[in-house]
Amino acid sequence: MSHSTTATTPKAFGGGRSPFNVSYGKIMMWFFLLSDAFTFSAFLISYGTTRFFSAVWPDPNHVFSSFPFMEGGDKPLMFVSLMTFILILSSVTMVLAVHAGHCNDRQGVVKWLLWTIIGGIAFLSCQAWEWTHLNHQDAWWASFQDINSPKDVYTHFFKPEVLATATPEQLSQSTNNFFNFFFTITGFHGAHVTSGVIFNILILVNTVNGVYEKRGHYEMIEKVGLYWHFVDLVWVFVFTCFYLL
Amino acid sequence: MSHGSHDENNIQNLYEGDQSKLYSGVLAHHHDVKSPESKAKVAKIWKITLILSIITIAEVLGGLYLSEVMSKWLLNTIFLILTILKSAYIVSVFMHLGDEVKWFRFCVLIPLLLFIWFIIAFLYDGGAWLEFNQNNPARFDYHQTK
Repeated sequence: MSHSTTATTPKAFGGGRSPFNVSYGKIMMWFFLLSDAFTFSAFLISYGTTRFFSAVWPDPNHVFSSFPFMEGGDKPLMFVSLMTFILILSSVTMVLAVHAGHCNDRQGVVKWLLWTIIGGIAFLSCQAWEWTHLNHQDAWWASFQDINSPKDVYTHFFKPEVLATATPEQLSQSTNNFFNFFFTITGFHGAHVTSGVIFNILILVNTVNGVYEKRGHYEMIEKVGLYWHFVDLVWVFVFTCFYLL
Repeated sequence: MSHGSHDENNIQNLYEGDQSKLYSGVLAHHHDVKSPESKAKVAKIWKITLILSIITIAEVLGGLYLSEVMSKWLLNTIFLILTILKSAYIVSVFMHLGDEVKWFRFCVLIPLLLFIWFIIAFLYDGGAWLEFNQNNPARFDYHQTK
């Protein structure tokens, strides 16, 4: 049994249905994500402004060079690449859940939503480890404010040649700013991942209970899926701004 | 399939009940999981996954090995192009924006053009302050140690 969409679609602006051919809930999810994109960009652009304002800046290959359960900090970018990969894969399993929903395949939706939830929790665990690790190097909000600290406290964060020539004020100011932005932005993103996991669990429970099967469609999976993909999308930009540039 | 048959002419009834049915479920496309269309869509999803993974690996390798041998500006430009490419794939395929009607795509994408101005203006501002501070040591003394 298959209906073609075109046969039942009247002319746009003919009344009776959305000229965008999208339901109210999905349009509002898109517009919410648009506003959220502006919030995240405000964070990332102010990070960029501060970086352009600073004479020196911590080097990501030095800040992010550790990996859990492996001694020594000589694995730059490896752990964050793993986190990025986990989040991309959870986005893939989400789009497969949406696809299963289009096919009214309840078992498929349940299976792929479960994988998405596992991916989200794995990402959050990685982030918890990274935050703890940086915190053990004395990094936190409002850290490194003392300009009288010896240069040794910055060894983990700068290229040696930059560390040698920078003044204590430059080191203190830029490290302080860097970590304020890092914890604020990845924290705000992590809060989005957390709420996304909660939404995913809710729609998984609804799917298992047959709520969407009774309703006749799985549009709720699409709407929550949009949110989840957006979280992945934001991470693509956070990854570039903090770890690559 | 569980939803049975539907009166396609009685759109108004659906509209007053669950209007999502108009666009997402009952009247819209429903194909079988094992149909060729369905399999083609899943194959496309995995193809995009492969592309996204390759781009990410290329970015990491670039960050690790090219930062010493390449000019910072050129490398950053490449990173930004790859980032925009990745986000375009995610928005258009994973979020299905590519499947929406043209004017809905424009409604979502046109406001994002404001970012072009935001980024240029704010980064220029930051750079201008750095230059100002470095050329006016009396105003903001970088070299004085307390």
